[in-house]
Amino acid sequence: MSVKIDPNLMKDLKAFGMKDANKCMHCGNCTAVCPLSTPENPFPRKIIKYAQMGLKDKILQSPEPWLCYYCGECSDVCPRGADPGEAMMVMRRYLTSCYDWTGFSRKFYTSERFELVAISIVAVLVGLALWIFHGANPDMEHACLNTVWPAPAIEIADIIMGTILAFLLLSNTYRCFLFVMGDLRKKIPLDIYIGQAKELLTHFLTQKSFGKCEDRTQWFVHLMIMTGYCTVFLLVVVFLAGGIHVIGLSWDKIMFQRDVIYPFFHPVRLLGYYATFAILYGTTYAMIGRLKKTKAPYKNSHATDWMFLMLLQLTTLTGILVHFGRLLDWPMITYIIYVIHMMVAIPMLVLEVPFAKWAHLAFRPVVIYLMGVKEKYYQDQKG
Amino acid sequence: MANTETQSILVVGSGMSGLTAAVEAAEAGYDVYIVEKNPYLGGRVAQLYHYFPKLCPPYCGLEINFRRIKQNPRIRVFTMAEVEGISGDEGDFDVTVKLNPRYVNAKCTCCGKCAEACTKEIDNAFNYGMDKVKAAYLPHDMAFPMRYVLDPVLIQSEEAQKVKDACPYDAIDLDMVPKTMNLKVGSVVWATGWKPYDANKLDSYGFGQYPDVITNVMMERLAAWSGPTKGKIIRPSDGKAPETVAFVQCAGSRDENHLPFCSGVCCLASMKQATYVREQYPDAKIIIFYIDIRATDRLEDFYNKVKQDENIRFFKGKVAKITQDESGGLILRVEDTTTEELKEIPADLVVLATGMQPNTSENPLPIQVPYDDYGFVASQNARPGIYAAGCTRTPTFVSEVVQDGTAAALKAIQSIVRR
Repeated sequence: MSVKIDPNLMKDLKAFGMKDANKCMHCGNCTAVCPLSTPENPFPRKIIKYAQMGLKDKILQSPEPWLCYYCGECSDVCPRGADPGEAMMVMRRYLTSCYDWTGFSRKFYTSERFELVAISIVAVLVGLALWIFHGANPDMEHACLNTVWPAPAIEIADIIMGTILAFLLLSNTYRCFLFVMGDLRKKIPLDIYIGQAKELLTHFLTQKSFGKCEDRTQWFVHLMIMTGYCTVFLLVVVFLAGGIHVIGLSWDKIMFQRDVIYPFFHPVRLLGYYATFAILYGTTYAMIGRLKKTKAPYKNSHATDWMFLMLLQLTTLTGILVHFGRLLDWPMITYIIYVIHMMVAIPMLVLEVPFAKWAHLAFRPVVIYLMGVKEKYYQDQKG
Repeated sequence: MANTETQSILVVGSGMSGLTAAVEAAEAGYDVYIVEKNPYLGGRVAQLYHYFPKLCPPYCGLEINFRRIKQNPRIRVFTMAEVEGISGDEGDFDVTVKLNPRYVNAKCTCCGKCAEACTKEIDNAFNYGMDKVKAAYLPHDMAFPMRYVLDPVLIQSEEAQKVKDACPYDAIDLDMVPKTMNLKVGSVVWATGWKPYDANKLDSYGFGQYPDVITNVMMERLAAWSGPTKGKIIRPSDGKAPETVAFVQCAGSRDENHLPFCSGVCCLASMKQATYVREQYPDAKIIIFYIDIRATDRLEDFYNKVKQDENIRFFKGKVAKITQDESGGLILRVEDTTTEELKEIPADLVVLATGMQPNTSENPLPIQVPYDDYGFVASQNARPGIYAAGCTRTPTFVSEVVQDGTAAALKAIQSIVRR
């Protein structure tokens, strides 16, 4: 069996944020201290070894970066300051770019300029589209968004965007599956895959592995951001009418973003408030942490980490303003802020979901699920 | 030309390097003052059971030096003394020395009557607190000077008079007070040595929480016939013989969060201590957890010899965590870095190989000298007229310390003579 060595791997990883991994002396302290490391999947030292030795293929096949939730304990106790936790974070960025067959992700991660330009272009395009395509008779007396941008039109745009993004993300996730499972994927019978599917959902929703880490605040903050984001995603994608309307299942009373002002305790409003609070809390906590470098996971910030937090927070803040604009019934201000809101939210979705940080929403639970499948398969083999 | 008063040499610390420097300089014809903080001479070496690699007791070497001191009128020894100030320049230093009261004078014959009369007990510092001694005590069985000490706790108590009355030789003086003394010296040898790194700071190892987690210096005392167990290596928790003994190398060493440097002796010390265990318990299993084994030159022969022992296993990986199971056994969580396997390995007794922290990192010289990043005096020539010797300068083992003491003595003599 031949092993391919990429002598430039470390240099390559630098662009993804790798800094101190060369300091590692391989004492194994990090792997033994990690609460998530298991005899089947010991990490992070192994991954650092692959990086130092230029074993690109091994990294590509490694599930470990996705099993790590980055509590930072390994980095806190590393005797050499090699920051193993950050090395795992770098690997997640690197793997995201390797899974992405378009090559877009790689550019996004390795060039800050490209990242800024890409986001700006999408933002401008969204702005222009909203400027050009709007309803014939916008209501300038009252703040009625649907008169400017009719809900069915937004729905159609939504479906188109959703389909493209889903295709990109799912195809990347499939590549992730191919790399991580290797030849084993064909040997494992389908019923094991189906039997373990429940785990996929549990890990996605609860991120229960994170609870094994000593610092549970990180788990909570992470859950807040995730649930907040997913709630809003649900509102925008499902309750905007979209899919449900298409299959004839829409129910006027719970549609998102209609010109009717729902009463305070209306579920759509409550969900919106929860999402707003959760995202603002989570992103503010993370931003302060990254500014003050309070914890190991916040000590090193890649340009994409900041972009992610800023886009998420800006989307939320402009969303709040749109909400108040509507409540106060200020038409022009509401419309302008709505355009800005879309100019932030759409680039975030288009660029981050399939190509950058948001992609881990799919990769992490899928890999954890696949490890469960693998374990079950080996158990059955033994039994 | 300098006068006779400034021809004398001050040696601070009477561990192996200070002791050597003092004896060598005195035997070359110079007046030497030894200032020692403890009530006895010999420093850390006095607390060792065996030297590596020869596995002989260090006390014979110490005794030879003590005899050389006794025979040499040029050496004056001050125990329980600390240097508080140094001023002046090469050839003309003014030194302030604080003398702490021993409450026992030269009439002491070590009959032990005072200890018999005393009921108060204190932690035995010589045995790293593993047992207790009476508050009227001989620091250890072979102490030099061979003279009892009264602890301040006893002096402040009502029992003091009773203990004094018990002495048939009128050797106890309860009225002793701390004194300050001034010395004029031409040059200084600084040899205050090291202390074991505080294992309480290694919070994931449970030292202080689990009684069966001990340090390497404690292991020396456990193995020594004059130690708390009279030389029996047993588990502190239940007094049973350990079946598996784990040595955790680099406990706080080569670690940015603790001592960033390698002390250079702990690997050999642990291998030496593994032989202690093997000698007492032929069936005992020993595991030495290491990052790298550092044994060079002839010391590598010792490593190879120990490696041949089937009951001693060398395990590559730094122990990350020690926990206790329900039965009281200890569990070590560690990665075997040769195979990438994550393991939990049980042991009855764990010895933490803690490194050497220079005493100058906490108690620097009372005069300006350069230090390295870790608090060791940066060079032998600390400043004109002041020379660092032994582990004050660099962490190392006894035979090298002896050479370093001799080197410092020569430097101190040159400093006086060349003017």
